[in-house]
Amino acid sequence: MGEAPFEGIVEAHHREIHRYLGRLTRGSAIADDLAQETFLRAYRSWKALPEGANVRAWLFTIATNVMRNHFRGEKRRTRAHDTVKASTREAGPDRPDGAASASEALTLVESVVATLPLKQRSAFVLRKVHELEYDAIGGALGCSADSARAHVFQALRKIRHGLDGRELTAVPEVPR
Amino acid sequence: MTGKHPICRDLEPDLVAAAIGEAGAAAAERVGEHVRRCPPCRDEFTRYRQIEGVVEGLKSHPAGGDEARSRRTLACRLADLERRRVAYRIFPSPLGNLLIARSADGVTLVEYLGHARTIAASRLARAKNVDPVEDGGELERLYRELMEYLEGRRKRLDWPLDFRLARGEFDRLVLSTAAHIPYGAVTSYAGVARELGRPSAARAVAQALRWNPLPIVVPCHRVVGSSGALVGYAGSKLGLKEQLLSVEGVSTRRAQGDPEIAREAMYHLMRGETEYCLPTCGSIARRSLAELTLFGTREHAEALGLDPCTTCRPDLHPDL
Repeated sequence: MGEAPFEGIVEAHHREIHRYLGRLTRGSAIADDLAQETFLRAYRSWKALPEGANVRAWLFTIATNVMRNHFRGEKRRTRAHDTVKASTREAGPDRPDGAASASEALTLVESVVATLPLKQRSAFVLRKVHELEYDAIGGALGCSADSARAHVFQALRKIRHGLDGRELTAVPEVPR
Repeated sequence: MTGKHPICRDLEPDLVAAAIGEAGAAAAERVGEHVRRCPPCRDEFTRYRQIEGVVEGLKSHPAGGDEARSRRTLACRLADLERRRVAYRIFPSPLGNLLIARSADGVTLVEYLGHARTIAASRLARAKNVDPVEDGGELERLYRELMEYLEGRRKRLDWPLDFRLARGEFDRLVLSTAAHIPYGAVTSYAGVARELGRPSAARAVAQALRWNPLPIVVPCHRVVGSSGALVGYAGSKLGLKEQLLSVEGVSTRRAQGDPEIAREAMYHLMRGETEYCLPTCGSIARRSLAELTLFGTREHAEALGLDPCTTCRPDLHPDL
């Protein structure tokens, strides 16, 4: 991969990779470590990267693997903390009319996302936040583009059901 | 959900896709058509649109952690990695597989791997504070120069050297002294020990050279025992030592099976002198190798600016 210094890659992508990992680890400081680990691994192999390779997708792949390894090591992580119930309670008291403000709605969605299995969670964030193509998501997750898409859709269904009975701020509803 | 009409159930994937703007034109139209007539699906569609709207907000929503601090730490760790990074490559060569490695500071290792083809067989794999990374490009030139050297087409390898794989400070000192033994010259372990100011350390010098991480480049093949016996090279590769010496015009012979330099066929230089002599000059033939440097050819002696001895006149004896 050319002679462009690695610092340029860090400069261009660290913020986004860090955000991705932060989102998937629910904003914990672990994201800092995982982002560093991602770039240290990338550093070791970036010279072998073929000319014209998609550096961004490649970094997301490494980040996803680093994170999966991390969670594998933390298998015993209690799931109880991640349940929708516990999290929705954190989201603050329900309004009398049951409607959530924009930021409450966001917190609600994030709390449901946190309960998703890791693959769905990664696929969802890669697609909906970072707008990666399904090919690249499949690459990052070690599955086909179709499976990646299925993960995203499944995540959306779960979010939709997780938010059942909660009013969300209105958005345009007419099909285009 | 269970009570869903089969049509609605079949349409559901398209409905989700249409709601998040990922459906093809035909599917989007089908969904639009359907939700106009089916209130539950319309609600469902609206719901997904709303979620899509909320999810959009995730893009600008902070995700936690301290990005700036993380990046600063990363910069330090990368710098550390850069210092430890050693690029290596294994070349199939006439000497068997040959590993060449270099750091940002200089060439770090030249290693005879024999038949082994992976780094697992190399001392790089066991070295501390070294991070080996396989690399292609830049090592190719070094390999080419080394081959030219072995074929006698090149007399100097002007490489920056990095002695980080030396076993310690003494070894480093020995290596940097041995690195200056000139092309075509032969000295002894005791000679190097004297040069270092440690005349009794000949054995330690031999051990240090035995672990020379840069054979050929640091020409430990130019160092022999005080008797003139080749003694050892890279484990049990005495043949290779003979070969390297012969490339430089130093002939060897077999005495009771063990190779030794043919001292009587070499030009002699006394330590501290600037004139080189015939082996028959005065009592020089009886001097210890620790006090001498020997040359296979006059050309190599004169390349160092040495003059022929005015007493024995080696310049008048073209052949030894």
